[in-house]
Amino acid sequence: MKQPSGKEKKPSGIFTLLRPYKGLITLLVLFALMGNSLNLWLPKIIGQGIDDFSHGHFVYKPLIIKFGLAALLIFVFTYLQNIIQTYASEKVAKNLRERLAEKISRQSYAWMEQSNPSRLLTNLTADVDSIKLFVSQAIVSLVSSIFIIIGASILLLTIDWKLALVVIAAIPIMGTAFFFVLKKVRTLFMKSREIMDRLNKVINESILGAALINVVNAQQREYEKFLDANGKALDFGLSILKLFAGLIPVIVFTANMTGLAILALGGRFVIDGSMTIGDFAAFNSYLTLLIFPILVIGFMSNVIAQATASYQRISGVLHSPDMLETGSLVKNLEGDITCEHVSLSYGEKPVLKDISFSVKAGSKIAIIGPTAAGKTQLLYLLMRLIKPDEGTIRMDGEDIAAYESESFHQQVGFVFQDSVVFNMSVRENIAFSDVVTDASLEKAITTAEVKEFTDQLPEKLSTTVSERGTSLSGGQKQRLMLARALALNPKILLLDDFTARVDTRTERKILANVHRNYPDLTLVSVTQKIGAVTHYDQIILLMQGEMIAAGTHEELMEKSPDYVQIFNSQQSTSNYELQS
Amino acid sequence: MNYNLNKPATVKGVSNYTAFKGLLRLISHEKSKLAVALLATIGTSGLNLLGPLLTAYAIDTYVMQKQYHGVLVYSGILLAVYFASFGINYLQTKLMGTVGQRTLYTLRNAVFHKLQQLPVAFFNQNKAGDLISRVNNDTDKLNQFFSQSLMQFVGSIISMTGAGIFLFSLNVKLGAVALIPALLSLIFTRLLSPWVKKKNAANLKTVGGLSAEIQESLSNFKVVVAFGRRDYFMQRFNEANEKNYTSATAMGIANNVFMPFYSLMASLAQLMILAYGVYLISTGSFTIGLLVSYIAYANYFYSPLRQLAALWANFQTAMAGWERISEILVLENNMGTIETHARQEGAPLLEMQQVHFGYTEDREILHNINLRLEQGKTYALVGPTGGGKTTTASLIARLYDPVKGNVLLDGKDIRSYNAAERTRRIGFILQDPILFTGTVRENILYGNEEYENYTNDQLEEVLRAANLEKLLGLFEKGLETPVQSAGEGVSLGQKQLIAFMRAVLRKPDLLILDEATANIDTVTEKLLGEILDKLPATTTRVIIAHRLNTIENADEIFFVNDGAVTNAGSFHQVVDQLMHGNKN
Repeated sequence: MKQPSGKEKKPSGIFTLLRPYKGLITLLVLFALMGNSLNLWLPKIIGQGIDDFSHGHFVYKPLIIKFGLAALLIFVFTYLQNIIQTYASEKVAKNLRERLAEKISRQSYAWMEQSNPSRLLTNLTADVDSIKLFVSQAIVSLVSSIFIIIGASILLLTIDWKLALVVIAAIPIMGTAFFFVLKKVRTLFMKSREIMDRLNKVINESILGAALINVVNAQQREYEKFLDANGKALDFGLSILKLFAGLIPVIVFTANMTGLAILALGGRFVIDGSMTIGDFAAFNSYLTLLIFPILVIGFMSNVIAQATASYQRISGVLHSPDMLETGSLVKNLEGDITCEHVSLSYGEKPVLKDISFSVKAGSKIAIIGPTAAGKTQLLYLLMRLIKPDEGTIRMDGEDIAAYESESFHQQVGFVFQDSVVFNMSVRENIAFSDVVTDASLEKAITTAEVKEFTDQLPEKLSTTVSERGTSLSGGQKQRLMLARALALNPKILLLDDFTARVDTRTERKILANVHRNYPDLTLVSVTQKIGAVTHYDQIILLMQGEMIAAGTHEELMEKSPDYVQIFNSQQSTSNYELQS
Repeated sequence: MNYNLNKPATVKGVSNYTAFKGLLRLISHEKSKLAVALLATIGTSGLNLLGPLLTAYAIDTYVMQKQYHGVLVYSGILLAVYFASFGINYLQTKLMGTVGQRTLYTLRNAVFHKLQQLPVAFFNQNKAGDLISRVNNDTDKLNQFFSQSLMQFVGSIISMTGAGIFLFSLNVKLGAVALIPALLSLIFTRLLSPWVKKKNAANLKTVGGLSAEIQESLSNFKVVVAFGRRDYFMQRFNEANEKNYTSATAMGIANNVFMPFYSLMASLAQLMILAYGVYLISTGSFTIGLLVSYIAYANYFYSPLRQLAALWANFQTAMAGWERISEILVLENNMGTIETHARQEGAPLLEMQQVHFGYTEDREILHNINLRLEQGKTYALVGPTGGGKTTTASLIARLYDPVKGNVLLDGKDIRSYNAAERTRRIGFILQDPILFTGTVRENILYGNEEYENYTNDQLEEVLRAANLEKLLGLFEKGLETPVQSAGEGVSLGQKQLIAFMRAVLRKPDLLILDEATANIDTVTEKLLGEILDKLPATTTRVIIAHRLNTIENADEIFFVNDGAVTNAGSFHQVVDQLMHGNKN
């Protein structure tokens, strides 16, 4: 069993993210510094060559060797630095995605329902990308810039501390500007990411709803929806831009102003003799050295701000509590089910109120009721997809929460109302579990009459099907879903309106197959058709979350007027169905 | 038609040049902004050079000669220059950023707009996640290029050209030698660019793949949980993640190949200038002083060249992104409106004549369908699953065009009606009800311009007139009940109710119900039946259903099986056929 690796840390700065990559980052910085310092050496070699030449003892060979060697080394170091940079940033991105996915995979279905999948998609793509950009671009630039700034400042101080203080006084001004902009921009970045979530959602809905959009000719409307979101994205983009468009000139201007101050003040010092002209020249050249890294930091602040915002969003997911509590009970189920005073609500809306019933192993029970009665939710509770607010559900006398998740789900099969088809072969779609054996697969396929339609597919069971692909009809997908559940060889089978999309003849054939091939199965079937379940051991009538009546068909016909009404509404056709 | 973006039918390598031209066409309305930004770039570069020059001059003349007044004058001039540069710098950053952001906006709109024009077949062949990645991620690559790289690109080229001319004007021979390494870089770039671009394209593709994988897994999460297959989720994800990692690393290494090489070439240039310069001096045609400054000038050429190396990689990424976007933009909807005035007299409301159809070329689904739907009558399509009922209905609503044969609406080819007219006349309640996140009101008015501006009271009045009020009563907060596109807040039956109301409110001449009530309880279903009965007498109804009671009152029943549509005769005959498989 997997234990949640629950190192509960407080949301921390983006730099903590880099901690596991210390080695790589050090190597990266090392190569960058080596390449840079060698670069400073090149002019010296050239200078020396010229000096030698003017002194008349110029020799080509050692110069070329020395220079060539240095140039090659720079080439190697820069390329290595670039490779490590790529490697490190991709590694960070990959691991971060993995951590996110791992976290998501350990969440409950309810959590997924609450959190917005469009947002999770942005988290896993665009947010991770900003962090990747941070690693690949910002780190080296930041480290070498700070290195140069400190070095140059020290040099300036040693030359003339008074003038140096003028220069250093500019740093807090720039710092304030940075701080101000970064603070403002972070919320803007957060908001622009939320717009990104919204864009994802609009695109996604318009793709899933393509058929409807075509049918009601709502292309324009979708486009307007998108324009609206995209327009907001543009507004945020422009606001962010405005801040940075202001920041960079401010930095340059401040730097220029210090240069000006040096000229005016230093000029004064030179004229009144308190500073030599040589020192003044050196001071000026170091000043130009200082400006470039400051600019680089200015440009990088954009990357940093974006990465920080993204990391904050990602941390939100990474640090959300593990909701999936896995019990540890591993046991072969018999199939007894008891519901004791189970209630459930969505927000303020009660969905199920005080439901109690029990099902004996091997018996068959039907749940019927009008639309939105809570039937599907009841099945979700039995499947442990959601937890009841009150009450307990037991299987074989044990609270279902006590069962170990994997073994529990391997013994309870669920056929969802809407079909979920993965983009893989029919066979893989059906054998969607480790416990499926060749025999159980074969049995499931025969029972759900899957071969009847797969035989017409180009590659039979090996044909790849897809969710929105047109390869399978609604009824065929539902049969595939049934086969998927049956392939587990489950002890308990939960059917959610399975027969809605299947024609009557096939439905009967399949249900007969199920009864014959899985005789010991405990069957809980949500259905609209009374005709198909009159012989069931128990029928539960749900209405607006309440259990109105329960009993056999005959009992309900006697004591429940609601049941009789439903029954009568189906009479005209049930007659025909009952004839055969 | 093949709409699969990841298996394009026409694989054609587009050169950077043509691709770039196509891109420029798309942002041509930004021309004036670009021009001003360009001027600002030149201005900034000029002022940036002017500052040090003025400082140097002030030092040389006034500081050296101890004239403090002159120093102050020059400080004043410098102050003015710095202020000017402050303004122009702001202007440049802002303009270029704006162009970038607006390009992103325009591109995203263009792609999404195109998506809306494409037929249903396109969406069946492509994955949502991949499309999202194209609309969001690939367009952003272009934005990055425009807002961050383009002006530097232009600026670098300008400085380089200037420095190059200067080098030649000083000494032609030495200039030629100095530029040989630059030529080598150019050749190197030309040789490697296709490879680099390929790596970029491969990476963007895996980004799309990753996005598609995430999208699919997240939307199928309940099955993953119910079958205890979190490991499967992780495994699929890890595979896509690993693929992305591999291609991204390969891309990074490819993109970074230029910079070190350009640096090497810059060093080589210095060495060659030194060596050749020394030779020139020894022949007496050059001086040491000139050589020293020549080496410095060469840097003015090679520094921007080095910058270009980084920008060039950005450019390759942007072009690869643009290619993926163009793949969508060049797609044409093959279901346009045709011009025809030919109208058959005495034709029914809708007629299918010898219609053949298949989703793919190699597999025909419908064979020679002939169908007449008269005004005001009710038809039922019955038959086993996978027989072709939904496909037939989709052709009636022109979600697809037949491969062979004709569909006529009022005796006129259905392809000659524009989308607005066609969808106004033909309503289609799809098998899988689709909701958009919002309220019940927004969803039943989806695509309905007529009632869009009605107040809730007015709308309720309309619903009452259409006998739909009882259905609305099934939603606890009526019109304002919130609904989600996905998720379990709304049951499938409720979704079908909303889809039903949506279609009925549009008052179509022909209403198709494709198992539209399959998950609705039979009592409510009766209600729906009554509503359908009360539709105007001229409304034609086509009902696809498995439940026999829903088709009991049909005027005519068609049996659809194996892609053939046959008249099934009376209701009793149909029942016999369906229940016992006695087809004949």
